[in-house]
Amino acid sequence: MGKILVIDDEADLLEMMRLVLQQRGGHEVTLSAEGHDGLTKAVANPPDLAIIDVMMPGMTGYDVCRRLRANPVTASIVIMILTARAQPMDREAAMDAGADDYMTKPVTMTELLERVNELLSRQPEPPPAFSGTFALASLRGGVGVTTLAVNLAVALTQTSGEPVCLVDLCPTSGHVALQLGLRPEPNWSAIIEAADAGDIDAEGIEPYLLSHNSGLRVLASPFVPVVERGISQKAAHVLLGALQQQFPVLVVDVPSTLDEATMAVMQVASALGMVLTAEPPSLQTSIGTLRSLSQWSSKLYAIMNQVAPGPQLPADAIARALKHPVAATIAFDPSQARALAQGTPLTLSSPDSPFAQAIRGLGQVFGR
Amino acid sequence: MREQISTAWLVGDFFTYRHRLSGRIDVRHNKLPAQLNDPTSSFLELEDAYVSNVERPAEIVASYSSSILRKQNVTAVVLSNQDDGLLRTQTYGSYFGTYLRKLFITVPSFEIIGYLRLSSKLDLRTVLTTGTDAFIPVLDGEMRSSIRPEVFFTGGVILVNKDQIGVFCVETEKK
Repeated sequence: MGKILVIDDEADLLEMMRLVLQQRGGHEVTLSAEGHDGLTKAVANPPDLAIIDVMMPGMTGYDVCRRLRANPVTASIVIMILTARAQPMDREAAMDAGADDYMTKPVTMTELLERVNELLSRQPEPPPAFSGTFALASLRGGVGVTTLAVNLAVALTQTSGEPVCLVDLCPTSGHVALQLGLRPEPNWSAIIEAADAGDIDAEGIEPYLLSHNSGLRVLASPFVPVVERGISQKAAHVLLGALQQQFPVLVVDVPSTLDEATMAVMQVASALGMVLTAEPPSLQTSIGTLRSLSQWSSKLYAIMNQVAPGPQLPADAIARALKHPVAATIAFDPSQARALAQGTPLTLSSPDSPFAQAIRGLGQVFGR
Repeated sequence: MREQISTAWLVGDFFTYRHRLSGRIDVRHNKLPAQLNDPTSSFLELEDAYVSNVERPAEIVASYSSSILRKQNVTAVVLSNQDDGLLRTQTYGSYFGTYLRKLFITVPSFEIIGYLRLSSKLDLRTVLTTGTDAFIPVLDGEMRSSIRPEVFFTGGVILVNKDQIGVFCVETEKK
């Protein structure tokens, strides 16, 4: 017996599916008449199998498929498209959107039930181990790097199944800790000299990590800005190395300068997210950054962060300007200001919001 | 319990020379050709129509809960199930004495191959002018884009608007 979610806008067909799958098949069936509602139900109670129509008002079955695949909570659900669109290119489109199987209406109850049982009997593949050091940076301030880093770290704590540590390397005011509602004490300023001397390891760094109630650990930066010196390249290498021994997943909030600490992160990061907005100064800075960091272009991901409401330049226009693909677009969320004030990231307070879904999608992009 | 799970109305792909509309139509307990060939109405009403450009036919660009098509501008209708596209007089007891002719048709933007079922000798000069039916059924049809040959549609039957046919070719008889 499996949990099946059926999303179709035809009431008669939904009822028929319930009869077939529940009474004849013995499955637990949830019905939904449209895509948005179906997505909400899938996130709230992830089914083993989703049977989705293509032609539905508001959101097509292809869009539902893509949204399910983009959300780590629903990404592994087996998806069957059941539609009256029977052309070969329709099947291709469904598979491209992330479907596992495709059936065309009309279908007999016996055929449907056999296919459903076959899909449910397939053994799910074990998820690949998730690990990596993911850095977020921008040489132009005010584009939301810290907010994205905090939300990404929280999302990965929830979805990766691995211990995650968030590292704030910015030598100004401990904003990472504040966004999590934590007091940035202790912080790396207490161990920077030991790190400079190469005298710190995983065990030695543990007492200096903060604990957030989501399970995330944090290496905070000092509340009072560091005067004269930041973190040397050697100290950054030592700190990150010590943390990598203990945490399979690191998220690093990188300073907005190409200083020694930033260069150390570039060297050890498995992926570097370059955060930008659609405003000309940010674009100009990003074009220059890509040029300066061209030796790492294979692990550089452009992330467009919408920090203001209203129409934005489309991602493909940004990509053309950058001559680099835009890996993710993070939607503007008016609740962000409240989340910052309350010290509760949106990935925790509004896990189903488009912002939170985009952040989880970003985690998947980095994890590939 | 009904054995077949199907949509309540007839679902088909309706083509103009630039667009594909997938939608459902109330055939009023009859077959679609009866509506297509009804000379008292110039329009077809579609419910829940999903619009694609024929160059990207799998990509749904818009959807509308109700829409109307001018029949004379419908190039062809592709239906999966052959029975849905044939009148009862063309399906029941009508196989004896009929034969199939393979054909090739051009209409704006598309080339169509398939079979024409005939009960009498085919006269090429009269096939497009004789009779009152505006649409002819092409059995086991394949409709391919003239400009992008990789784009094609198949159906148990394709109902083709006779007024839009540019070229009509047939192969030798099949008994």
